[in-house]
Amino acid sequence: MDLLAQILVNGILLGGLYAVMALGLALVWGVLNIVNLAHGAFIMLGAYLSWHLFTYLGIDPFLGLPITAIVMFGVGYGVQRGLLNLVVRAPMFNTLLITFGLEVVLTYLAQLAFSADFRTINPSYAGSHVAFGPVVIPLARLMAFGIAIVLTVGMWVFLLRTKLGRAIRATAQNLVAARLYGVEPRHLYAMTFGIGIGLAGAAGGLYGTVSQINPYIGATLTAKSFAIAIIGGLDNPLGVLVGGLVLGIIESLTVAYVGATFGDVASFGVLVLVLIVRPSGILGKTA
Amino acid sequence: MSRAMTRFGSALLCAALTAYGLPAFAKDIVLGASVQLTGSSANTGRYYRDAYQFAIDKINEKGGVKVGDKQEKLALKLYDNQSNVNLSVRQYVQLVSQDKVDLLLGPFASNFALADSAISEKYKIPMVQGGGASDQIFSRGFKYIFGTLAPASNYFGSTVEMLTKLDPKPSKVALLYADDAFDVSVAKGTRPLLKKAGLTIAMDERYTSNASDFNSLLSQIKNANVDAVLVAGHETEILNFIRQAKSLAVAPKMYSFTVGVPSADFRKALGKDADYAFGMTAWLPSAKLKDKWFGDAAQFAQDYKAKFGYDPDYHAASGVADVEAIAEAIEAAGSTDHQKVRDAIAKLNFPSLYGTIAFAENGQIDLPQTVIQVQDEKLVPVYDANGFVEKPKYPMPAWNAR
Repeated sequence: MDLLAQILVNGILLGGLYAVMALGLALVWGVLNIVNLAHGAFIMLGAYLSWHLFTYLGIDPFLGLPITAIVMFGVGYGVQRGLLNLVVRAPMFNTLLITFGLEVVLTYLAQLAFSADFRTINPSYAGSHVAFGPVVIPLARLMAFGIAIVLTVGMWVFLLRTKLGRAIRATAQNLVAARLYGVEPRHLYAMTFGIGIGLAGAAGGLYGTVSQINPYIGATLTAKSFAIAIIGGLDNPLGVLVGGLVLGIIESLTVAYVGATFGDVASFGVLVLVLIVRPSGILGKTA
Repeated sequence: MSRAMTRFGSALLCAALTAYGLPAFAKDIVLGASVQLTGSSANTGRYYRDAYQFAIDKINEKGGVKVGDKQEKLALKLYDNQSNVNLSVRQYVQLVSQDKVDLLLGPFASNFALADSAISEKYKIPMVQGGGASDQIFSRGFKYIFGTLAPASNYFGSTVEMLTKLDPKPSKVALLYADDAFDVSVAKGTRPLLKKAGLTIAMDERYTSNASDFNSLLSQIKNANVDAVLVAGHETEILNFIRQAKSLAVAPKMYSFTVGVPSADFRKALGKDADYAFGMTAWLPSAKLKDKWFGDAAQFAQDYKAKFGYDPDYHAASGVADVEAIAEAIEAAGSTDHQKVRDAIAKLNFPSLYGTIAFAENGQIDLPQTVIQVQDEKLVPVYDANGFVEKPKYPMPAWNAR
């Protein structure tokens, strides 16, 4: 029983981390219809940025998250404005190709700049925990989970309540109508992509405190984020949170009770199941 | 001005061409290899790139290799396989059939060596590889593959022996391993050793390579009250394993890992949290290991660090041993003929900075593993074939009592 409780806690905390990783991918996909294959690479860059802030400037990784997010927002804005806007109306295949290329370039630049050495963001509390009876909750993961909730709800409120958020949703729903109401799509697309990449950057900072960073972590993180976005649905940031939690819990249970090699089988199995039963995601609107 | 620039430019171009083209028109003996310079295994792949080049430069510096009555130089033709097995196989085909290299050096990692050795076998060209330890590589009756890493099945041999001599003696052991050729061989070899030592295997779990979340497995370890945890995996996984063990307050009496512990980069990434971790190495930079080209292993380690800026571990020493084995075999054979060199490699028996190089019938070397432990962020040899070397720090204290 203790084990089950611990496994569930592990799964929920893991799910929170997953949700932050997928949030930006789902936003960009939902609004711009770009499946950003470089998403994981941006997470990786965010992780390196947090690592540098922590190692050289002594900035706590959690306090440094806004800095990381803002810098990465700038990067994302620039990439969309200078590169992706050129293909945003091209068929999906083109955007897949260009983001895949971006992924490769970013990964290799990261190896040139940072070498293939492993890095960890290791503040003094990274290994501490709080215990509730026999159940142990790692502090860094708990904080990451809290941030996941804040970011998800924040995104939800932002999209529903703010002018920019409404403009983003309007553009996603009907570009022509949005333009008639004075939305400037190039700027808006860049803002959206920037926010997506900013979220990826923040996720990277969190990832670095609980795992390790090297230039090659991106591809698997993209795959995971992709699965979460599909499971949760693209319409609603809360769906991503649900997707992350579902995946985290299922993976943890599978590893503990079925076998450690079946974690990925289970998560991609859920993905297939969701695609069959609820193609627009667990919280997605049904047609 | 512009003419001077042109002249300067063409001079530069000439210089570059000469430097770049040298190995092509000199009659060098070319050794070909495909190594992970980028991709997920780049971190260990670089040991081989640096070791191969370092050994070749050193041998050339000392006059090269004596072939019959002529002195010839060695050269390296290296490709980056991007940590992709299929690409690595294609590159070995290219090395043999298009680049027409004389002899082959190996890639890093067992799954690569397993696939690539099919090429050396097919073209009957000897490959000496220092990156694949899996017993599978040498159990297929291949005649052209030689390996300088000790057998995977015995990686935990000395560790298990040590377990029986520790006080208090551990009784329950967890065995975790990644699902690739090397780690599966390790697990397969370790099970009977544990049984023979009278230890209970409380957990025997295979996990997915590149797994990043070990929280479930760690919770199970804690729940099963395991004394000793043996993990056969990759450095990234082991980094995550140790970090997550700390955050979940999982502290068995001891844990030991097949990789990571000997590598300086790994210990640096973990800092103090690397303390108490056990590992093993078939090589330590000891001045007792004499070498024809490098003086001794201690000297080699110093020169290597000075040249590349990081400490060599057994991967690097094994890579150097590969080049030296080829050099010795060419001298013994008096030619670069594939068949003759192959037979000479099989008969080798010479001291090197890596240990005595002699291959068994199946092509693999056999070296004893020394148990090592990180103590106060330093690597300490703990147990070898003759018993305890330094006192192990055992049992490992709880994380909050460190």
